[in-house]
Amino acid sequence: MNSNTLARSLFIPIILFLVIAFLIGPFLIIVAASFSAGDTLAFPPQGFSLRWIAKVFTVESFRASFGMSLFLAIGGTAAALVLGIPASYALSRYKLPGAEVIRTVVSAPIIVPGIIVGLALLRYIVVPFQVGITLALFLAHTALVLPYAVRVVSASLDNLRSDIEEAAVLLGSSRTGAFFRVVMPNIRGGILSAFILGFVTSFNQVPVSLFLSGPGVRTLPVDMIAYMEIVFDPSVAALSALLAFLSIGIVFAAERFLGFSRYV
Amino acid sequence: MFQNRAEALALALPAAIFAAAVFLVPVIILLSDGFRDPVGGWTISAYTDFFSNSLNQTVFLRTLRLGAIVTVVSAVIGYAAAFAIVSLEPATKGKITGLVVLPLMISPVARTYAWIVILGRTGIVNQAFQALGITDAPLRILFSETAIFIGLLQLFLPLMIISLISALENMPKDAIPAARVLGANWFQVFWKVVLPLTKEGLVIGGTLVFTGSLTAYITPAILGGSKVLMLETLMYQQVSVSGNFVAASVIAFILIVMSFAANILLKRVATARNKVRSQG
Repeated sequence: MNSNTLARSLFIPIILFLVIAFLIGPFLIIVAASFSAGDTLAFPPQGFSLRWIAKVFTVESFRASFGMSLFLAIGGTAAALVLGIPASYALSRYKLPGAEVIRTVVSAPIIVPGIIVGLALLRYIVVPFQVGITLALFLAHTALVLPYAVRVVSASLDNLRSDIEEAAVLLGSSRTGAFFRVVMPNIRGGILSAFILGFVTSFNQVPVSLFLSGPGVRTLPVDMIAYMEIVFDPSVAALSALLAFLSIGIVFAAERFLGFSRYV
Repeated sequence: MFQNRAEALALALPAAIFAAAVFLVPVIILLSDGFRDPVGGWTISAYTDFFSNSLNQTVFLRTLRLGAIVTVVSAVIGYAAAFAIVSLEPATKGKITGLVVLPLMISPVARTYAWIVILGRTGIVNQAFQALGITDAPLRILFSETAIFIGLLQLFLPLMIISLISALENMPKDAIPAARVLGANWFQVFWKVVLPLTKEGLVIGGTLVFTGSLTAYITPAILGGSKVLMLETLMYQQVSVSGNFVAASVIAFILIVMSFAANILLKRVATARNKVRSQG
């Protein structure tokens, strides 16, 4: 038994160290490489400077595509919630004919690989209906976030007792009034969590946006892939590090203030 | 439960119509493209053409192989890591689990890009190998199946570990000591006790890792280059380089069939578990 305990007390830290080094190490290397003073991407970094981090903010295409990604992540998620909250409410509170079909249709975009959604949109929406690339990206990101919105909002609706709003209706409130005054305040955390999950999903999404790019219109991750194929300097590393800290910061704040992980 | 049917439909239909119009209908038309012949009939000749091409065969088999290897390796590492994590004190367990989940919040492009610094010609691995005298010239690790394997494993391992942690935590606490007292060795304990009791978690994690690997775009695009393709990078190339939309439709159908098969399996295991619960 003693040799077993010893083996286990050695095994556990070693395994954990190796796994975490494998999962987190590359990210730390990217952060270190982005402080390099040298001209090419390298580790250990050659000297220390902030020039690559500063350069990120001066690359015109990064600024444009960052703006586009931010617009899609905020606008697409907001649109998905505008569609998704009423649908979740109907699915959880009403006897709805064809409820399973509706649930499947709105959650389908999560199962189908993004590259297929992007190509299908390009060929059968953008080309035949002369839809602009920006609008097409907006539609694609809304469809992509919709399943997450419905899932997270449904989960928080299911956790809320429905007799409170029935009581509100019995006491003379309209159905709409009951929703906004009784239900909404109680599912606010779920809605915010859905927003954050949708934002991060949309912002990091690549395959959906691959085919939906035009002159000067690209999402940030697609632009980063295009840039790293041509230029081998640490600016993509710097940008990656900045974005990583941004999304970690958002999720940590969400966890601290909302208990994010309860909803996801 | 409210009974008003018109009200319910008014609330639910906008989302359903939107998803159908923007997503379902275009995707179905795209998939049907691969089954049409030039005069408007139905045919599977696009599929026989696709699979008779040796490059396509290579890419198809590579995608399946990488998916399978990444799933198996992540299961092996996942069990070791999950065992180690569930044996920790609750406070440490929370922190370590947080570190395992952390990469999921970082952009996959950033996570994959890091491997260029590590595996490149002048990367850390080659520097170390040459310093230790293992090789004289830099090894070509980047733009190979090995590089894609490493990238996919890093991307999806957290999903496997998380699934296995919850499976191990739901296992009866005395199952392992009981098996040990009855004389089972560690191999038998794993094979006959732990594996059957954590099967659902393994299947859930495995499905996530397998479908994720099959439908990966970013990892093969960055770490495989233009030569070592997987199905999604092949599909992108077919459209953007060759303008071959029929081949793209064929690949799309293959990807969807494989992801659906994996998801149906997942659902089946999940419902089997619910049945057991409701009986108990």
